[in-house]
Amino acid sequence: MHSFDTQTGASRRSLLRGGLVLAGMGLTPATLWTQVAAGATPDLPPRVQQLLNRVCDLTIPDTDTPGAVKAGVPAFVSLAIASGIARANAPVADILFTGGKAPAGAGLLDWLGFELDLKTGGKFLSAKPDDQVKALTDLDAGAYAKGAEKSPWRTLKGLILTGYYTSEIGGSQELRFELVPGRFDPDIPVGPQDRAWSSDWTAVEFG
Amino acid sequence: MSTDFDAIVVGSGITGGWAAKELTEKGLKVLMVERGRHIEHGSDYVTEMKTPWDMPFRGVGDPQLYATDFAVQSKNRHFTEYTQNHFVNDRENPYSVAEGTEFNWWRSYQLGGRSLTWGRQSYRMSDHDFGANQKDGYGVDWPIRYADLKPWYDHVEKFIGVSGQAEGLSSLPDGVFQPPMALNVLEKHAKAAIETQWPDRRLTIGRTANLTQEKEGRSACQNRMICQRGCSYGAYFSTQSSTLPAAQATGNLTLITDTVVETVDYEAKTRRASGVSVLNVKTGERRRYTARIIFMNAGAFNTNHILLRSRSDAFPQGLGNSSGRLGTHIMDHASTVGAIALFDSFQDRTTFGNRPTGIVIPRFRNLGHQPEGDFVRGYSFQGGALRSTWTRGKREAGIGAGFKEKLRHEGPWRMVLVTFAESLPRETNRLRLDPVKVDPFGAPLLQVDFTHGENEHKALTDAGREASAMLNAAGGRVIMSLNRPGVGGSAIHEMGGAMMGHDPRTSVTNRWNQLHDVPNVFVTDGAAMSSSACQNPSLTYMAMTARACDSAVTMLRQGRI
Repeated sequence: MHSFDTQTGASRRSLLRGGLVLAGMGLTPATLWTQVAAGATPDLPPRVQQLLNRVCDLTIPDTDTPGAVKAGVPAFVSLAIASGIARANAPVADILFTGGKAPAGAGLLDWLGFELDLKTGGKFLSAKPDDQVKALTDLDAGAYAKGAEKSPWRTLKGLILTGYYTSEIGGSQELRFELVPGRFDPDIPVGPQDRAWSSDWTAVEFG
Repeated sequence: MSTDFDAIVVGSGITGGWAAKELTEKGLKVLMVERGRHIEHGSDYVTEMKTPWDMPFRGVGDPQLYATDFAVQSKNRHFTEYTQNHFVNDRENPYSVAEGTEFNWWRSYQLGGRSLTWGRQSYRMSDHDFGANQKDGYGVDWPIRYADLKPWYDHVEKFIGVSGQAEGLSSLPDGVFQPPMALNVLEKHAKAAIETQWPDRRLTIGRTANLTQEKEGRSACQNRMICQRGCSYGAYFSTQSSTLPAAQATGNLTLITDTVVETVDYEAKTRRASGVSVLNVKTGERRRYTARIIFMNAGAFNTNHILLRSRSDAFPQGLGNSSGRLGTHIMDHASTVGAIALFDSFQDRTTFGNRPTGIVIPRFRNLGHQPEGDFVRGYSFQGGALRSTWTRGKREAGIGAGFKEKLRHEGPWRMVLVTFAESLPRETNRLRLDPVKVDPFGAPLLQVDFTHGENEHKALTDAGREASAMLNAAGGRVIMSLNRPGVGGSAIHEMGGAMMGHDPRTSVTNRWNQLHDVPNVFVTDGAAMSSSACQNPSLTYMAMTARACDSAVTMLRQGRI
């Protein structure tokens, strides 16, 4: 397995690309991964951590199964941004910020905080839950409108979904998981209560 | 003259394993030389039983590592965090491409080679294919026809286990099949719709080297669809699961790994190859091995590479290259997404298990006397139908409990048809030794010079139209149809360069896969291909190898080589 220790130079460079949030904390993918592996939440600045946690849980909340925070999704998103999964370490272009200006080197989470604050009078984190839902729903709807294909939210939401459905909670409690099906049934009934399989690799890839 | 071995087999992949098995079973003492590391069947498939949450990067992999070490390999859809240990390190194993061209060379340097990572689709070529060069004049005429290879296809299929459905088609001859895997409910529906509207077309289950019945210590397929991680059930054909144990059981096999063949050595006095010069990539030690015959099974391009750098006074352009054609007429398949369609039907039906094969619609173009369309030869489709899962949520608006509830359940059916069009053999598509760049051991890099031609583009355009029409006929709504081929190499069917032919002046190997110039060197991997057909080629390589082994041993016993 690859060791991060040999890659400190590359890691530092990618962190610089990856945005102010992580770089400012002196976090490296190695320290982040240690935290992910230990089931801990990475040591983001408290405000950013709060923002990420809140957005993860608004996207995939606790229902009759645990949601994104309990499944450790924020740590996966941090790792993804630090390492560049789905190019999540790329700076967000000025034009993608409402108003067309961004702080130099701003990354995905900087963008997210900026946009959500803008929709909540500058105080997303202290807004009422209903207002937070409305703000994120607005952001999401805008990101999936025609012509908004480059919205950074699509990248972030993709990472949240990947983090959740590849976790043990999302993959085997929310959905079903079977590594060794042992047979193939080509045509069976499926009802509205039946859960999908997270271990259907072809569907994960092409679905 | 005494030699270290009767035969040396260069490479341990799909054809190397077959050469080792056939030659050792015929009593020859065989040295098999593998450039990569040893991988033990079962115990070295270290990611086989991992879940996504076991993996440091959840199966997605580390983009920084991929950028530095797997820049080409990581573009392959079979390359994941689970399978990265079965692909070559691009940084350590560079190649070059001619200016203005691109080529994705996807490789597996390890015991078993790409037999561990292959797609397992196993199709025979037909006389439409073996006769194509003679008919339309591209390349040189194959010196063999289907009848020459048929018994060897039988021989190979019986041993490796191929599941499939006999269809009686002239373009895709039937084989010796284990019971077929099943079409799913939507595929069955599509089959009926397509065959009703186009009686000359057939949709059938992919013929795959995954067992549906156990055989010789190998289990039937468990329907996991994670073959490329390695399968400790031995349920798909690989060197490790199949040919290597057979060769080892004879007591006649010597296997060395981490050893690259630098050159095949030529002895001018006898006009024969005397053996190979090798380099141990771990220790840096160089030495020679001698043998009476050499089988080149390094993988199509690497076989070319070794022959090109085996230069001598007699063969200054590379061993067996008196024609000047070694390395030329390389091919791949021109491949792209023919069409993807969504379906509103069958929402109350689904599947269970992960079938490790898709469907195939065999070639239906240009099989008669009249040309159809503005291109020669043909294409086929592979693909299948599936119900989408949580990943569709990345493309859809929505957050919160309702969104989570929606993604809890399967999404709509979709069906995909991927086109594989025949790649014409053209002299300008070629391999050469890079004039400047060298590898870490000082050998000139292999340079690939390849572009898809006009015929391939026209075939893909026709295929996109036909794929869309067929999915529409099945009731689908087409959401994507492409007609530009992927970068060369993308089908992972790179082949040619040492093409078979009748005439030593225009081809490199003869009807028995011997180098015209050096009759005790046999080229039986994809390098020997004179045309590409549009089928997945590995089964043909295996059949050619078994046939050549049989003739080589006969020639040896008769003292002819």
